[in-house]
Amino acid sequence: MNKVIRRIQRYQGWFGAGAAGCLLVGLYLGLIASPPDYYQGEVVRIMYIHVPLAHTSLLAYTVLFGGSVWYLWKRDPLVDNMCHAAAGLSAVFTSLALFTGMIWGKPTWNTWWTWDARLTSFTVLLLILIGYLMLRTFIDDPEREARFAAVVAIIGFVDLPIVHFSVEWWRTLHQPQSFSLRGVSISSDLLFPLIMMSIGMSLLFTYMLLVRTQMLYLTNLLHAKKGRLLGQFHLSKADS
Amino acid sequence: MTAFYLRWGILVVGATILVVLTYRNYEENLATMTPEQVLANSPTEEIRVKGLVRGGTLRGELEEGRASFDLAGEKDTLPVQYEGPPPENLRELKTLILIGKWKTPTRTFQAREMALVTNYGFVMGAYIVGLIPLALFLFFMGRKVCLLYDEIKQSTLYQSESDTHVDSR
Amino acid sequence: MWTRGKKTGFLVSMLMVGGALSYLALGNFGENLVYFFTPSEVKAFTPEYYQKKIRVGGMVVKGSVKSHPDPVGLSFELTDGAATIPINFEGIPPDLFKEGQGAVVEGYWAANHQFHSNLIMAKHSEDYMPMELKRAGVELPKKDFMKSLVE
Repeated sequence: MNKVIRRIQRYQGWFGAGAAGCLLVGLYLGLIASPPDYYQGEVVRIMYIHVPLAHTSLLAYTVLFGGSVWYLWKRDPLVDNMCHAAAGLSAVFTSLALFTGMIWGKPTWNTWWTWDARLTSFTVLLLILIGYLMLRTFIDDPEREARFAAVVAIIGFVDLPIVHFSVEWWRTLHQPQSFSLRGVSISSDLLFPLIMMSIGMSLLFTYMLLVRTQMLYLTNLLHAKKGRLLGQFHLSKADS
Repeated sequence: MTAFYLRWGILVVGATILVVLTYRNYEENLATMTPEQVLANSPTEEIRVKGLVRGGTLRGELEEGRASFDLAGEKDTLPVQYEGPPPENLRELKTLILIGKWKTPTRTFQAREMALVTNYGFVMGAYIVGLIPLALFLFFMGRKVCLLYDEIKQSTLYQSESDTHVDSR
Repeated sequence: MWTRGKKTGFLVSMLMVGGALSYLALGNFGENLVYFFTPSEVKAFTPEYYQKKIRVGGMVVKGSVKSHPDPVGLSFELTDGAATIPINFEGIPPDLFKEGQGAVVEGYWAANHQFHSNLIMAKHSEDYMPMELKRAGVELPKKDFMKSLVE
């Protein structure tokens, strides 16, 4: 068994517990202890789930990008497993951010969906991730699969700054960034639950990344152990 | 495997407590009356009435916190006198919740405070859509990892690769 | 490297994703860099733009909102600081529609220089605070929506 995997096994619990703790406290603050917004009323509470999901999906893609560069450089299959895991998670977080955003849009903007620059570029991010995951299912040679996927992930990274700055560069229905060079536009009562949920969601992502990386690694390992495709299987020499 | 289910059990209990706390916190905000119900029952205690501010009926000095208007329900309308803090969100053709008392002698509703429509359905929807799939995804992923560790431990057939002794939890 | 079925599946799915991406990139996205027009741009419209379904965004002028009962609706003015256009709206406006706030209105610009619409989308700003702070007159830093329109 890989040394890194053993270390993950030992420490992952802390991330899980931290995520659960932060999220429960964040939910209590967001749903019960914090006041409604002066303009939106109670619906502002959707922000505490939508914004952390959205920023975590961008965090996940950044991890995917970093991992892909690292993979192309070092060719470590475990790093490839991590990239694959990060891409799956990023796709999940992106979809959930889109859905919660739609639910926030209806009572505030008066529309479930509109093709403004922020919503469009975020949909493009989801499509890139779906393309990435499809690419991985359809290539049989694992080495080649990892290489192609890493290249796709690196090219797709172009969309991230577009997502982030779309609300500043172009006319959109989506409101601009609340954290920017102008300062923080959220008063402390509403800021604290948001920060708590954001930390919790980042920890949850880290925990999920560790679990999913293990899952992919172990699946590969098991296949190798069963003797299938043993010759060409994609495991590093350090493992055997 | 037992430890795995135990951890998720604790999490579910924690989440349930949170749901109950949240519900009890907003329980009293959920009860609103319609203008028709107010006219039919003439309640004497303080109530919350939900309705639409009729177009063309809003008068008064909003900056000083005084206004009068008609609040429309499905069929009937309620004449309203508002006196309270300067209303941030009062305008015509807007649905609002008014807090105050019904004065039977003058047949007007005396409001002291107003609130935006709560839209709790949207808030609840967003949290369900955001958190439940995430939790299910993690649950099945975690379970799969546990099962994989078990399976690897049992597959002693190809023990030749050095160390497969991992603790399955 | 490929089995036959996988190759077909791969090509089909890549075509789908690639098609969707290029559709967004070439058609929709390019168009949506101008998601809405400003009142100044609408005022400068030449007749071939009249009666075309477009979106206009701007600030709802304070004191301009008048409601009319039959058919239920509103008339108000939308400004970007440089120009102001009159809007005729039929329907119930959204909850967050308010004087002095941003709104994006969908409809068409008529030859009589009136904008007709039956969809208002409220554009809220990125500042959030409880009612007590707002009543105490607190202002949080935020992007000046009007300024961003004129640029």
